Amino acid sequence: MQKEDTDILLEMAHDIQDTYGYIPEKEIAELAEKLSESRATIYGALEFYSMFYTEPTGKYIIRICDSISCYMNNSNEVLEAVQDYLKLEAGETSDDKLFTLEVVECLGHCGEGPVMMVDDRLHTQISPGRAVEILSKLH
Amino acid sequence: MLQERKFLKGPELRDIDDYDFPGFQKALEMGPEAIVEEISKSGLLGRGGAGFPTGKKWELAYQEEGENKYIICNADEGEPGTFKDRYLLDERTLKVLEGIMIGAYTIDADTGYIYIRGEYSRQIEILEETLQKARKAGILGEDILGSNFSFDIKLVRGAGCYVCGDETSLLNSLEGMRGSSRSKPPYPISKGLYGCPTLVNNVESLACSAEILNQGAEKFASMGTEESSGTKLVSLSGDINFPGVYEVEFGSASLQEIIEDLGGGSQQGQEIKFIIPGGLSTPIVPSDNLQAEYSYEGLQQAGSSVGSGGMMVISTAQELSDILTRIARFYMDESCGTCLPCREGNKQIYRIISEAKYAGLTVDRLNLIQDIGDTMQEAARCGLGRSAQLPIGTILSEYKEELIEGGNLP
Amino acid sequence: MINLTVDNKEVTVEPNSTILEAASKVNVNIPTLCFSDDLTVYGGCRLCVVEVEGSDRLRPACNTRAREGMEVKTHSPRVREVRKTLFELIIASHDISCELNCLICNRQNSCQLKDVAEDIGISRMCLTPGADEERESDHSSHSVVREPNKCINCARCIRKCEEIQGVGVFAQASRGPETKVTTFKDRGMGNVECTNCGQCVVSCPTGALHEVYHMDQVWESLYDEQKHVIVQTAPSVRVALAESFGEEPGTIATGQMVAALRRLGFDRVFDTNFTADLTIMEEATEVVNRVTNNDNLPVLTSCSPGWIKYIEHFYPDYLQHLSSAKSPQQMFGAVAKTYYAENAGIDPEDLVVVSIMPCTAKKFEASRPEMNDDVDYVLTTREAARMLKSVGVDVCNLEPEKYDEMLGVSSGAGDIFGASGGVMEAAVRTAYNMITGVNLQEIEVTPVRGLEGLKSAEIPVTDDLTLKVGVAHGLNNAGIMMEKIKAGEEFHFVEMMACPGGCISGGGQPINTERSWREVREKRIAGLYDIDENKELRLSHENPKIQKLYEEFLQEPGSSKAHKLLHTEYVTRGVPGT
Repeated sequence: MQKEDTDILLEMAHDIQDTYGYIPEKEIAELAEKLSESRATIYGALEFYSMFYTEPTGKYIIRICDSISCYMNNSNEVLEAVQDYLKLEAGETSDDKLFTLEVVECLGHCGEGPVMMVDDRLHTQISPGRAVEILSKLH
Repeated sequence: MLQERKFLKGPELRDIDDYDFPGFQKALEMGPEAIVEEISKSGLLGRGGAGFPTGKKWELAYQEEGENKYIICNADEGEPGTFKDRYLLDERTLKVLEGIMIGAYTIDADTGYIYIRGEYSRQIEILEETLQKARKAGILGEDILGSNFSFDIKLVRGAGCYVCGDETSLLNSLEGMRGSSRSKPPYPISKGLYGCPTLVNNVESLACSAEILNQGAEKFASMGTEESSGTKLVSLSGDINFPGVYEVEFGSASLQEIIEDLGGGSQQGQEIKFIIPGGLSTPIVPSDNLQAEYSYEGLQQAGSSVGSGGMMVISTAQELSDILTRIARFYMDESCGTCLPCREGNKQIYRIISEAKYAGLTVDRLNLIQDIGDTMQEAARCGLGRSAQLPIGTILSEYKEELIEGGNLP
Repeated sequence: MINLTVDNKEVTVEPNSTILEAASKVNVNIPTLCFSDDLTVYGGCRLCVVEVEGSDRLRPACNTRAREGMEVKTHSPRVREVRKTLFELIIASHDISCELNCLICNRQNSCQLKDVAEDIGISRMCLTPGADEERESDHSSHSVVREPNKCINCARCIRKCEEIQGVGVFAQASRGPETKVTTFKDRGMGNVECTNCGQCVVSCPTGALHEVYHMDQVWESLYDEQKHVIVQTAPSVRVALAESFGEEPGTIATGQMVAALRRLGFDRVFDTNFTADLTIMEEATEVVNRVTNNDNLPVLTSCSPGWIKYIEHFYPDYLQHLSSAKSPQQMFGAVAKTYYAENAGIDPEDLVVVSIMPCTAKKFEASRPEMNDDVDYVLTTREAARMLKSVGVDVCNLEPEKYDEMLGVSSGAGDIFGASGGVMEAAVRTAYNMITGVNLQEIEVTPVRGLEGLKSAEIPVTDDLTLKVGVAHGLNNAGIMMEKIKAGEEFHFVEMMACPGGCISGGGQPINTERSWREVREKRIAGLYDIDENKELRLSHENPKIQKLYEEFLQEPGSSKAHKLLHTEYVTRGVPGT
């Protein structure tokens, strides 16, 4: 493979993650082979990005923005409600492997905060009650 | 009463069948050198935050020799308080596409990239569809619109990392590596993607360029002030009644007017404490300085800068230490980790600030933050490290007394 | 040429020189940490920042090109202030605490942080040192321990492993404050394709990487009256040990080292050079046979355990090309536990074989199941120095003594094993004799000497046979050589050494923070060739003790007894996960 084709890493990693929910070891080794890099290098590169997971995650990934504008619009109350409901801290996955909770920096919807993403689905101007209601429907 | 000045904004523009790319058509007639001149004449400054003259950037990229050249549309919008690129990608998609095409034609690039943040799932869908349709319609591909210019665009999704919005980090990320910054020089213009000349432009800069060719550099330059021509998309958020993206002509308004007339004033009439005018990497402007004119020079005079146009309004109802902690945490978490001053400096600043919430700040601790901040500004490798200290530093110096007294021990 | 001033001193440098290079030309010392003269520039630690007239912020000297007319200030108040803060930030991230870490650290005498502290003139600290979270040490490897709490993320180990060794077991993972150097999926060095070469250890500026210590076990054996403890010393140790006692690299201290080891309490002090000669007898015999029968050519050398693990991981299809001869360390162990034990009337159970090696991979080699525990403990040169210091032995001031005879006599061919090309040269000297019955007229095979990464030579032997040999050192070069062989380039015999320059700059050697890698390597190599040149006995096959060993015990080179004791097998490892 030409050095000029390494732009495939991000897109391939996204595709793998869409398939498995995370990037399994075997796939990292294959990516390494394709890109003529060591496994460690590819692993290190993937680990750089907070959206990539090299270990299995919950079925749903819940991202709550706690950056400054969302915070000013009470994102912490949403976060607390969700933490209470899921019994999870940021970065944790529920025992039933249904939810992974992430507290993230700006999601680019600062004018509509607080913001919660469930996988690709965005929920803006969300109240603590509404957040819990959305999650309860996923059970 | 201040009104928006709509140069970039307009009705939803996504249907390729309804659009004939007038700016690009004109570009094909003009040829690269005339385009460079037109963009330079417009006085457009890069809208991503750094404010480098776009015409100059294009000129340098045009002059570079190279078998392969690339153009990259930087759609990795991630600076807290900034969401104007998302507006353009949503509503003015074809203007962005047109800007990329004009840039590519000007510098003679045959491959372009849109590097978009991975969380923008809706915009990713829109772009995927748009690119597909553009290929079908012959807007992308071989001999576009009957010219001998061939060009295509790859859409690449980022994966949750603010620093990749820095152009050198973006290049590393695109090349399948960790998105850590590169040392400059060499600049991407001469040695960018895969070591080839690469033009990296922000979404808004590209949309502006398309409009400049469409409506003329004179029109653009006639708006704004001598040093700040045209309009700027301002993302308003925070303690404000009508947050959103507003287009403001430079020099036509004060910060106060933007907040009051466009943003409907602060929420529940609370008193404004300060604003952060251009995204989280710009110094704050305290409330007593809100008469400052909205322009590059006006904000410079007020001790800050236009940045990305992400304007956050912070009222007195907010706990200052919580705001500080969040800013510090953002920079700590988003440092790429390569250069020591940024990685360790932000960590230490965060540590001191978050401890201060309970223990209070002392003059010694403040000085320590100042020392670390100075060191980061002097010695960090990229813009992220160098600007991390700007909002924090200005908050600390502006509200020093309040912070030193204000440790709220339980 | 480019003219500039550094601290008001005029200096002229080649185009493309960095400010760092310009400064060193006028003897201005700019502190560095992530910079290493054998690696690509990283620009991460920023300690080398300097003031450049007309530039609004400071510039890293390692990564900024000198320009015509540039005025550089390397130690202005502004620069010194920034460096002090940078240094504080480093220390705050490095696990130095009141638990006296510095004093027990493996780098107590070669700590680059200490050097830098002195260079900068640190006199106060404001930040609280200590890592935020305990990061677990990695004890998974037989050879190398990693203590991430001491890591300052300079990435020198990553670059060394990737650029010089072409292996790449390390990478940085995560970002921001979580940024860490780690292995694939945090597996630990013992569970990935690490070759144990230890080049990461010698490139580390701190104590974050060090060998797996065998010092305690050796102390225990020495103190145990029941045990008969013998020691062997590898060729490269004698030209490096003195560095730990303040001498120049390349200082020859063979006799002093022998005397020192006796004082430490070893019952016999023997020489790995002796079994280096033995290795040559077995290996040259194999080469001659395989060349004659055109059997799996080229023959690849097998004495570098880092190289062995490399080929087992990355080129397992070529294992049959390896010479089956054990390395000198392992031949010594095998001979000691049989021939020596028998002759000395010692129960092999009570015999403890210790080796002192310039190498960390030798620790792994000794633990390979194929090796039968013939060698019990392996000390690096650094560990040996620490042990000697701790009993008050100042090696350099001792009267030289001789090795114990039985396994202690060697030829100069054995000495040069430690330099890249040395094994080849030693083997050629003997193989030539085995084929033609006479010795080479010019026994010095100079084309295979020196620090060139890939070397080759053609040696006319008979009218029908010109021996084509190749040499590679540093595993990246070994990889290049393997690709050449894969592509069909023909050699009869190829020497591969894991470490750049050969064993003299192995992962277990003293760490010289003062000098460039090149200088250290050249001086140590010169030391070895010096020993060879001044020895009367320079051919392995002429070593009388070797001849006696065959007569009394092994019969002849390549005999079935020799095969049983002195030859080994290899394992297909591949790269796990692919």
